[in-house]
Amino acid sequence: MFNIFKRLWQVNWAEQWQYRANLAMYILYWLVSPIIYLSVWTSIATANGDVNGLTANDFITYYMILLIVDQLTSNIIIHIFGYKVQDGSLSGELIKPIHPMLTNTLVNDIAFKTLNMMLLIPIWIGLTLLFKPQFDSVSLGGIALAIPAIALGYAINFLLSGIITSLAFWTTRVYSIHEFYYALIMLFAGQFVPLQLMPAVIQNIARVLPFQLFMYLPIQIIQGNLSAQEITQGYVTGILWFIAALIGFRIVWRRGVKQYSAVGA
Amino acid sequence: MHSFKLISTFIKINIQMAVAYRADTVVNILLNLMWLGWELLTLSIIFSNTQTISGWGFGELIALLGVFRLINTMMVALIWPNTEKFNQSIRDGSMDYTILQPVNSMFLVTFSRITIWRIWDLILAIVLITVGINISGDLVTPLSIAHFILLAFSGVVIIYSLWIVLIALTFWFTKFDNNVTILHALIDAGRYPSTVYPIWLQIIVTFLIPIAVATTVPLQALRGDLEGWRIIMFFAIGIASFIVASQVWKRGLKQYSGASS
Repeated sequence: MFNIFKRLWQVNWAEQWQYRANLAMYILYWLVSPIIYLSVWTSIATANGDVNGLTANDFITYYMILLIVDQLTSNIIIHIFGYKVQDGSLSGELIKPIHPMLTNTLVNDIAFKTLNMMLLIPIWIGLTLLFKPQFDSVSLGGIALAIPAIALGYAINFLLSGIITSLAFWTTRVYSIHEFYYALIMLFAGQFVPLQLMPAVIQNIARVLPFQLFMYLPIQIIQGNLSAQEITQGYVTGILWFIAALIGFRIVWRRGVKQYSAVGA
Repeated sequence: MHSFKLISTFIKINIQMAVAYRADTVVNILLNLMWLGWELLTLSIIFSNTQTISGWGFGELIALLGVFRLINTMMVALIWPNTEKFNQSIRDGSMDYTILQPVNSMFLVTFSRITIWRIWDLILAIVLITVGINISGDLVTPLSIAHFILLAFSGVVIIYSLWIVLIALTFWFTKFDNNVTILHALIDAGRYPSTVYPIWLQIIVTFLIPIAVATTVPLQALRGDLEGWRIIMFFAIGIASFIVASQVWKRGLKQYSGASS
């Protein structure tokens, strides 16, 4: 099994490496929204002294950490897998004795992520020079405590995106469904604003949904803003969602492959 | 007259295309409404925490959202589909046939595809602008409305010209098919008054990729923030950028030699 992954890595890394020129553009997309939100909220916090107790520096550190965490927990499987169902090129992968989504697609996504991080980190350092965040509340312990949450967030996001991408077996409108999923992330993950500034209803819903593990929860753990009880609660919710997503993915995938008949069949 | 006839033909063809994919059109409109809801929610969250954002009130940000949506509609309904077609035509050489037509090639390349259902977005934008101005309680005179329309128009022309320059670069650098990505990536910066941003970002969105000139500036004119000479200056920049863009396009066309040669 290890050899399979090693080989897949070589192939997928080489594939992603070809597109390194496009990467700068992708990273640009990536940076714009968080920087806009950072500017908006720091300008409000500076004008009013603070926003509900959050200072300008709290916002700067929040979005600076978000740039990294969001990159780590997100995935592009809708783009690297969805078309394979539609144009039939999945057939070749289905006859291999390994799971197409959980091996090849996973490794391809991680290769893409690794390449992104190589470019993002120097840019990120440049941005810290521009925005001068003070990471006083960030501790090594907090980062260590957040890493499993990031991994869990990535796993849940991967499986849920996997379920949505698998809907391509039934419908040609997966991209629209995915857009809706993306909107849910925007709403409940804390991308626009730290969740504590959202209306109470949204906060309560967000607490039982998995999306806060994609951004808000790891960021808050890194910032050292959560109590032990809140962290435990976040992890328990995350693990339950992980199990649910795994089961859901298995069912949808199995039915989907049965449903699948390639172009020309 | 000629161009007018052509545009109405393009619209007719594009309506037929939209009708052929009815269900997709409905889904797209629903998603569009969803994003509108999200945008309004973000504004209400901002203003539940503050009175103003760099001097702008709630109503003014709604109006700005309307202006932003005008530019954004231009992006997704015109720039995006036509660029895709154009890049394809450079790659496979079908640009040859476009040049052979007895019509201005720049016009043909930039208007042949129009995502027609997005016209609904334009109506929505105008509603947002009107409602926003009403909420803001800003004193609006016929003169300031005229300034607003003038600068919104020249803002659209500036973005259009930038687009022409970006895609014309493909004549020299055939592999440059990321040509409008930078415009697309930065467009979101138009949602908020550019004075919110740190100075380096203000410089980028004002001079380099002038999104703010098409969004923040017209509303500043409406609020009466701009002196007369600035209004004339921005209008002149609009005309100048169009002239420059047409020249770049002409030079680019001379550079074009087909896909096979």
